Amino acid sequence: MAERGIDPIEEKKSYGSVFLIGIVLLVVFSLWAFWDDNITRRPWKAIQRRFHDLDYNKAKAAYEEENKKLQADANYRELYQKFAAAQESLRRGELGKRLAALERQEDQATVRFREIDQEVKFIKSELEEAWYEHDHAVQQKRNPQPYLQRIQELNKEQAKLDPQLEAARAKREQIKEEIKKIQSGVKAIEDELSKVAAERDKWVRVMENVTLKLGPVSFYKIPKIEQVSLDEFDRNRFDQPVARVDRCQTCHLSINRPGFENEPNPFKTHPRREVLLADNAHPPEKFGCTSCHDGQGVAVNSVKQAHGEVHYWEFPLLRGAKVQSSCTSCHLDAQGLQDAPLFAEGQRMFEQIGCTGCHLVQGYENIPKIGPSLRKISAKVDPGWMVRWIENPHKFRPRTRMPNFEFKPDEAVAIAAFIWSLSKEEGDQWRQQHSLPAGFREGDAGLAAKGKKFVETIGCKGCHGFAEGEFSTTVGKQKDLVPNLKDIASKTGPQWLYHWVKNPRGFAPDTNMPSLRLTDDEAMAITAYLMTLGGKPEAAPGIQEKLADGNNIKRGESLTRKYGCFGCHDIKGMEKESRIGVELTTFGSKTLEELFFGNRTDIRQTWDDWTHNKLKTPRIYATERVEQLMPQFNLADEDIQALRLVLAGFRERKVAERYQADRGQQVVQVVEGRRLMHQYNCVGCHVIENRGGFIRKYYEDRPTLTPPVLSGQGEKVQSPWMFSFLKAPFPIRPWLDLRMPTFGLSDQQTNLLVAYFNGLSKVGIPFAHFDEQNVPRENLEAARALFSKEYFDCLSCHQQGDRKPEGPPEGWAPDLNLARQRLNPRWIVKWLQDPQKVQPGTKMPSFFPGGPDNILGGKDDRQIEALKDYIMTLGKTSGNAGAPVARGKTAGR
Amino acid sequence: MKAVTLGTGILAGVLVFAPAGWAAYQAGDVKDGGSISGAVKFKGTAPAPKKLEVSKDQEVCGKTPKTDQSLIVANGNLVNAVVTITDISKGKKVEAKKVTLDQKGCEYQPHVLAFPAGSTVAIVNPDGILHNVHSYSKVNSPFNMAQPKFKKTMEVKIDKPETIQLKCDVHGWMEGWLVATPNPYFSVTDKSGNFKLTDVPAGTYTVEVWHEKLGKATQKVTVKAKEDAKVNFEMAGK
Repeated sequence: MAERGIDPIEEKKSYGSVFLIGIVLLVVFSLWAFWDDNITRRPWKAIQRRFHDLDYNKAKAAYEEENKKLQADANYRELYQKFAAAQESLRRGELGKRLAALERQEDQATVRFREIDQEVKFIKSELEEAWYEHDHAVQQKRNPQPYLQRIQELNKEQAKLDPQLEAARAKREQIKEEIKKIQSGVKAIEDELSKVAAERDKWVRVMENVTLKLGPVSFYKIPKIEQVSLDEFDRNRFDQPVARVDRCQTCHLSINRPGFENEPNPFKTHPRREVLLADNAHPPEKFGCTSCHDGQGVAVNSVKQAHGEVHYWEFPLLRGAKVQSSCTSCHLDAQGLQDAPLFAEGQRMFEQIGCTGCHLVQGYENIPKIGPSLRKISAKVDPGWMVRWIENPHKFRPRTRMPNFEFKPDEAVAIAAFIWSLSKEEGDQWRQQHSLPAGFREGDAGLAAKGKKFVETIGCKGCHGFAEGEFSTTVGKQKDLVPNLKDIASKTGPQWLYHWVKNPRGFAPDTNMPSLRLTDDEAMAITAYLMTLGGKPEAAPGIQEKLADGNNIKRGESLTRKYGCFGCHDIKGMEKESRIGVELTTFGSKTLEELFFGNRTDIRQTWDDWTHNKLKTPRIYATERVEQLMPQFNLADEDIQALRLVLAGFRERKVAERYQADRGQQVVQVVEGRRLMHQYNCVGCHVIENRGGFIRKYYEDRPTLTPPVLSGQGEKVQSPWMFSFLKAPFPIRPWLDLRMPTFGLSDQQTNLLVAYFNGLSKVGIPFAHFDEQNVPRENLEAARALFSKEYFDCLSCHQQGDRKPEGPPEGWAPDLNLARQRLNPRWIVKWLQDPQKVQPGTKMPSFFPGGPDNILGGKDDRQIEALKDYIMTLGKTSGNAGAPVARGKTAGR
Repeated sequence: MKAVTLGTGILAGVLVFAPAGWAAYQAGDVKDGGSISGAVKFKGTAPAPKKLEVSKDQEVCGKTPKTDQSLIVANGNLVNAVVTITDISKGKKVEAKKVTLDQKGCEYQPHVLAFPAGSTVAIVNPDGILHNVHSYSKVNSPFNMAQPKFKKTMEVKIDKPETIQLKCDVHGWMEGWLVATPNPYFSVTDKSGNFKLTDVPAGTYTVEVWHEKLGKATQKVTVKAKEDAKVNFEMAGK
C-alpha cells in the first residue's frame, strides 16, 4: 500500500550516477580552475622556477668549486680537524665530562645563591615594615624606641647575610666563567673556520635562499610577484602625483646580482650593474625598471604585454641604445654621463647642426644662431658662388652643416638678390675702409709657402681642414663643425681673407672665429696660401643685373621668410622673426595620431620609423596639398639614431624631485658652459671631459707639442688666473708653436667657462689663499736644496722667469714663476705625488716616492709640502708674474 | 647545519688540485735540443749615422760624441736587431734576470736591451746629473721616473712581454729600447750581425727579427735534435 505523498517508484530510483558525474565534473573543473589560475595564466611562475633551478645549480657548482679549493688547503684541513676534535671532546671526551660536572656545580651554586638572596629579600621587607611602624609611632607621638630596636636587629641580620650572598654570587660567576672558557675555545676555532670558508659558505646561503625546508623534504620557493612601488614618481592627467608600479623583477630576478652576466634573458645581469644600479645611482628597489626602460611595468602575464609592445600601450620597452633617451628625464647634465654616449653625441648634434634655429625646445632657447652673419656678405663672397651655394650647399662642401633647401635656380637667385641688396651698403663701405696691403702679391709662391707653414703650425688645423678629407671637430659622422677651406679661393678674395684672418671680429662681431693675434706679415702669408686653395670663382654672366632686379629682391624676401633663413643667419631687418618650425619640447611624447604620415603607406606606423624617415628625407611626408619646408641635412643613419634619442627624450614627463639627479647651480653651469665650450670648439685643440684634442692627429710622432689636456683644469688652476687667461691668453708653454687664440669672450662668457671647469672638477670654492707670511723657514730651505742640481734639478727643464733652461725649447717646461698666481697649491701637491696619474703621458717624471733621505727626515710628504710652499713663493719680485703680458721672443704667440 | 656541511666537505675532500694552465709558454727541461743561428744583414748601403747635437749638460753629456743609434750597420751587418722565436710553446726554463741599463754619458747602453718578461731592469745613472726614464709602454703600465744625481740605481720590473721605447725628457736625444720577450729564446745582434738561439727542442718555428727602424721580418725554421739550423735575414730600409 502506497503511502500518501510518496511515490514508491521514485523512491526506488537511484541518483548515484548523476551524483557521480556531478562529483567527477566538480573535481575536474576544480582541478582545471586550479590549473588555469596557477599555471596557464601565470607564465611567470614557470620562469621563476626556472630561475630558482638555475640559481641553485650555479650556487651548488660554485660551492663545490670552492670546497675543492678548501680541501686542498692544508690550513683549512688542520683547522677543521681541530674543530672536529674539540667538538668531539666536548660531546663525549674529557672536555665533555668536565663541562657536565661544571654545569652540575653551576646548578648547585645557583640554588645556594637564590636561597640566600631570598632570605635577604625577606629581611628587607621586614625592615620596610619596621620603618613604617617607627614613622607611624613618631607621627602619633608614641614611643618609637621598640621599633628602632627591631630595625637594628634586622640590620644586623642583613649584615651577617650580605657577605654570604656575595660569596655565593662569586662562586656562581666563577663556575659560569669556566664553562664559558671551555665553550669559547671551540667557538674561536669555529669562527676562524667560517672565516676561512666564507667564500664557500656564502653559496650555502644562496642555496638556502631559493629553497624551502619542510622537515626532511626541501623544494624550491613558491613563486611570487616581485613588485616595486615608486611613490609619486609620475603625474597623472590632472597633474596629481601618482605611484608607478613595476613588476619586471618577477622575471628579471638576477638583474642586480653579479654572476649572471652570461645567462640568457630574462636572467641576465644588468650591464655595468656595479655602476648603473649602485646605491648612489639607480638601485632597482628605488627606481624599478620602467623609470628608464619604459614598458608596461604592472603586466606579468605575457612578455609582449610586460614589454609594452602591444597596440594600445604608449610606452613600449626602449630597446638597445634607445634607453639613453630616458636619462634626460632626471639628469639635467645627461651629456656628462659616461653611459649615454649616443645620447651625448645626439645632443651635441642637436645643439650644433641648427635644429634650434627653426624649432623651439625648452632648455635650448638661447643657443646662438649657428650660421655666419649675412650683414656684410656682399663684401665677403663672390656673387655667383653665393647663388650656387644657396641652390645646393652640399655641392660645394658636402660636409657643411648648412642644409640643402633644394631651391630652384631662379629661387636661389632671388634669395641671393635679397640678401645682397640688404648687405650692399654696409659691405661696400667695409671694402672701402679695408684695403689689401700694398705689399700683397697674389701668386707669390714663397709667401704662400710661408703661409702654409703658419697654417700648419699655429693651430688653424684645430678647427679647419685644408684638403679633401681633412677635418677636426665633426658634428655627427659626416658634418664639419668648421668649414673645410680646400676651395676657399673660389668663394672669396684676398682682400676679405686678409682682414678676416687678422681680426675676425672686425668683420663679424659675433663670430666664433677667434683671433690668433697675427702680425700683418703673418696674415698676408696666410692669405697668400689660402688663395692657392681652389680655382678662381666660376664666371656667372649677368649676375649683377639679376641681383639688382627689384622683382628678384621682392621674391627673395618672401622666400627668406618662408624658409626661415634668419633661424641660422643674422639678416638685417629680420632679427626679431620667430622660429618657423614646430615646437619640439614634447615631441618624444607624440602619439601616432599626432604624426602626419602623408600618403606614405610603406613606412611602418611607429614613432621611430616616422622620425627616422623625417630626418633622413625631411620632405618625405609632403603631399599635393601639404607642403613641407624642412631642408635636407644628409645625415648618416647613425647620426639619425643619435638625434632620435634626443628627440625621444623631449617628453611630457615630470619626475618627482626626489628621483631627480642634482640640478644645482654647478650642474647648470656645467651644461651651459659646455655648450659655450662647444660653440667655440675648445675641443678642437684640447681634450676636455676625455673627448677632443682633435688636432693631436697631426702630432702623433710629437705628442709633447700638442695643446695641454684640460681634464681636471678646474682643480689645477686658480679661478682668477683662468679668468684673466681666457680673456687675454699669453704663452705658458714657449715650446709650442700652437697659439691659444683670443676669443674675445665677454665677462659673462668667461665666467661661465671658469665655472664649467670648476664644476667638472667639483671645485666648491673657486678661491684659494696661500699664506706666504707663515711658510716655515725650514720648508723654504729644504725646497731650495731639493731644487738644486744636487737633487731634483728642477730648472733643468722648468723656466723660471728670465732664467731659461738649457737646450731647445721643446724640452722646456712651464715657468715656475707663474705658479703662485696660476696654480692651486693643493693641486701642486697632487701633481708632485704622481704626475702620471694627473696627466698620463706627461713629460714631468715622478720624483716621489724616493726623495732624498737627508732632507726633512727623508719624508716624501714633507718634501712635497716644502716644494709646494717654495713654488708658491717664487716670482714674487717680478710682481705681475702671472699677468697677461707678452714676454721675450715668444711674444705674440 | 654548519657541522653537516663541513662534514660533507671533508667526505668530498679528494685532494685534486689542478695547476692553472694559463701560461702560453711551458718551461721544462730540453733534452737533445738543437739551435738556430745566422746573421742579419742590411740590404743596400746604410746612411752614415747622424751626429746628434748635445744641447744640454755639455760638461757631462758632451764628453763623448753622440750619433744616432737607431740604424747601425757594421760591414753590412745589422746591429741591435732582436731575434726571437714567436710561436714556441714549450722549451727551456725562463729565468727572470736582473739586467742593467746604463745611462753613462747621457746615452742608453745597451741601446736595445732584451730579456725575458718578469725580469728586473736596473737603471743606473753614473752621470751625476738629473735623468728621467720615460717608458712608452702600452701592455705594461707606463712609467716616467726621475733619476736625480743622488739616485744611482733604480729598478723596474717588466712583467709582460712588450717592446718598449724609452726616452729621457731631460735630454731629448736619448732614446733606447727594452724588449721583454715571452720566452727565453732571444738574441740581440752585435757588430757581427750574428745571433744564436740554443736549446731549442726539435720542431718548426717562426723566427722573427725586429729592428726599431726597419720593422719586422719572419722566417720558418725547422730545428732537428742536436743540430744547428741556419737562417739568415736581410733587412731593407723603408
